[in-house]
Amino acid sequence: MRQPLNCEFESEVLAAVLQSRWPHRADPKLQKHAETCTICSDLATVAGLIDSTREQTRASATLPDSGRVWWLAQVKARREAARSAARPITATQLIAGAAAVGFAGACFGATSRWFQEALAGFSFSAAFAEHTALATAMAAVILLVPAAAWLALRRD
Amino acid sequence: MFREVTFTDVNRAAVDAQADFVMDEETFRGFYDRNARGVWAYLARVSGDRQTADDLLQETFYRFLRAAAEHDSEDHRRNSLYRIATNLARDARRRTLTRPHADVAGHDVEAIANRTSAPDTTADFDRAMSRLKPRERAMLWLAYAEGASHREIAEVLGLRPASLKLLLFRARRRLATLLGRSETRHAAAP
Repeated sequence: MRQPLNCEFESEVLAAVLQSRWPHRADPKLQKHAETCTICSDLATVAGLIDSTREQTRASATLPDSGRVWWLAQVKARREAARSAARPITATQLIAGAAAVGFAGACFGATSRWFQEALAGFSFSAAFAEHTALATAMAAVILLVPAAAWLALRRD
Repeated sequence: MFREVTFTDVNRAAVDAQADFVMDEETFRGFYDRNARGVWAYLARVSGDRQTADDLLQETFYRFLRAAAEHDSEDHRRNSLYRIATNLARDARRRTLTRPHADVAGHDVEAIANRTSAPDTTADFDRAMSRLKPRERAMLWLAYAEGASHREIAEVLGLRPASLKLLLFRARRRLATLLGRSETRHAAAP
C-alpha cells in the first residue's frame, strides 16, 4: 500500500514544535498520536532539531558590516563597468592591427619586384590541386582565428 | 570648442558612474542587517562549510544588487536572495567536486555545534545533515529554520511546487532515519 504524505495533525505538531511546546506542554492526545504516526514523529524530530540548531548556527556567523558589503559591491560593479567599457576598445584595436598588417602586406606586394616576379609564375589552381589539405587547413585557420578571438573577448 | 572623446574618457566615465543597483545604500543596509545572518546560516548548512558560507555571502548580496529584477514585497526580495545563494552554493559544490581529494561531505558545520554546546543530539543532527543531498538540506532548512512555505521553497530551489510535498516528505524521512529515532520509536510502539 502506498504511504500517505499528509497527516491531519501535521500542522498542529509543527506549531507545537516551533512554539517550544513539544513534547511536554503539547496536547497529550497529539503526543499519543505522534507515537504511532510516522509523518508526525518525523516532523517533530526533524523540525525540533532544526529549530534548536537554528539560533546556534546563526550566532556562529562572523558577518562583515553592511557598509563594507555595500562599498565592496560598488567597487566590484565599477570594475566590471570599466572592464566592459574596455572590451569594444580591445576589439577595435584588434581590427586596426589586422588592417595595418593587411595594408603593410599590400604595400609590400605593390612595391616588391621579387614578389611580383614570383607571383607571375605562380598558378593558384595548380598549387591548390597539389596541396589541397594544406590549403583547406589554412582557410580554416583564417576563418577560425577571428571567431576564436571574438569568443575569447566576449567571454572576458 | 569640442574636445575629441578618447578611449580613456570612455573608461573613466564607466568607472565614475554610480553602480546601477536595485536599491540605495540605506535600504540595502537595512535589508542586509535583516537577512545576512539567515543567508549565512543557510549557506553554511547547505554547503556544510563555514568558509564557503563566508565567501558566498558577499557575492550573494552583490548579485542581488546587480539583478535587474523588480520585487513587489520584502518576502519576494528575500526569496530572490535565497535563490541566488542556492545557485552560488550549487556552483561552489560543482567546483569542489572537480577538485581532487575534496571534502565534499563538508563536516565543518559540525564544528559549530561541537564548539558551542556540544550535546550529542546536535552532533548527531549535524552528522546526519551532512549525509543528506544539498537539495534536501536546503529544503529542510528553508522549511523549518526559515519557515518558508512550499511555494517559496519551490521558487528558491527551482522546483515544481506540486512535487515539493513529496520531496520534503522524503527528505524528512531520510533525516529521521539517519537519526535513527523514528525507527526506534516505531519499533517500540505496539
